[in-house]
Amino acid sequence: MKELIAFFSRYSKWLVLLVYAVISLVLLFRSDPYRHHLWLTSANTVSGAFYKVSHNITAYFSLRQVNEDLNARNAVLEAEVVNLREQLNTMRLAGFTDTMPTPDSVSHFNFIVANVINNSIHHPQNYITVDRGSLDGVEPEMGVIDHSGVVGTVSAVGPHFSRVISLLNPNFRLSCKIKGSDNFGSLVWDGRDPSEAILEELPRHTVYSPGDTVITSGYSAVFPSGLPVGTILDDGRDHKENFFTLRIKLFADFSRLSNVQIVTDNFRDEIKIVETNTIVNSDPTKK
Amino acid sequence: MNKTTLSLLLQFVVLVPLQAVFFNNLVLFNVAMPIVFIYVIISMPITMGPNKAMTIGFLLGMAVDIMSDTPGLNALCCTILAFIRNFVFHLYMPTDADLAEQSPSIRNMGVAAYLKYAGTMVTIYCAMVFCLEALQSWNPWLYLSRIVASSVFSLLIIYAIASWARNKNEKRL
Repeated sequence: MKELIAFFSRYSKWLVLLVYAVISLVLLFRSDPYRHHLWLTSANTVSGAFYKVSHNITAYFSLRQVNEDLNARNAVLEAEVVNLREQLNTMRLAGFTDTMPTPDSVSHFNFIVANVINNSIHHPQNYITVDRGSLDGVEPEMGVIDHSGVVGTVSAVGPHFSRVISLLNPNFRLSCKIKGSDNFGSLVWDGRDPSEAILEELPRHTVYSPGDTVITSGYSAVFPSGLPVGTILDDGRDHKENFFTLRIKLFADFSRLSNVQIVTDNFRDEIKIVETNTIVNSDPTKK
Repeated sequence: MNKTTLSLLLQFVVLVPLQAVFFNNLVLFNVAMPIVFIYVIISMPITMGPNKAMTIGFLLGMAVDIMSDTPGLNALCCTILAFIRNFVFHLYMPTDADLAEQSPSIRNMGVAAYLKYAGTMVTIYCAMVFCLEALQSWNPWLYLSRIVASSVFSLLIIYAIASWARNKNEKRL
């Protein structure tokens, strides 16, 4: 027993090093960001409060840019309203209003407006902290967009703050298609340029040209379909593979994110129930 | 609570949020990221036991990790840095010098020796952090240039803090 204690006291620094190193390595290589404990993310109360204070100070410096973005966005929406109003009038004149069912897409998705209080773009796995939490209705796996395109999905939610997995994180994959075609692929960041990402697994027969717009496919309850993501940069046609892999220039400027919207799907629970039921019913062994 | 513990605590409380809120966003040319919070490890008293030093290092790294969403990365590197600290220190300073309760500083070591000691520590730290990051996204030239640029940039700021601390102490004396 005495020798054992002597052994431990002699090698105690190696033991301490080993214990701390093992804890760190476990945290470092446990990669699923949805399973991070809230207190180990930037969305916890203490670091959230720090970021909120610093955001309150620094937000003023980007007000001019934010204003310009909002004006530009406003102009686009204004034009869309005019177009839709015109279409509505044409249809009303044609006498369709009584017989046509009104689409309920307006009530399908809602948005929670949030401020980005912390953001990184230089790590291999980047995260964003926003100042809205479960008290504001945020839940894990909700989509996050800004005025120009897709930003990420929510991974950890505290009462007042949430952590978002940025699009600039290889753990985040987004189902996308090229505008005007129905073939979809998977968008993922390759860890190089914060303004570019890779669209992979696009079927070989897809017709496209550089400059085409890439939009969300809507094949998940996270993002509505048709949200802008980016444009095709180059003709990376690889004729050996069965799938295309393309470089995409992202619309969202991650170096100066300020205001974002968290997408809440009103039919999320219903879709989940339907999907799980379908799997159970289509299982031929269960009868 | 003695003076050393108090100054250590003060450095911890000031430098961790400053790193997360300010220095993490002060990246020049997409390569030079200042890592300033390791000043706490660099200036811990050399007589401090290795277990205590590593515990402080681990907690320091963990605090930065939590705030910047890099779980485990800085905790691991800070623990190792605290472990090898005495070895690096004695590379440039004789072992028999009277160092009781003294922290490595410009005043205690002289400019040249302090620069060598702090420079070695910073370079080792940047090499560890960016090598671990490179494992997650293979891009050797980017991470090699990040090691070099970040080491230089971090050393500049740490030296500025150290000389500010020296001036403050001299005024007090």
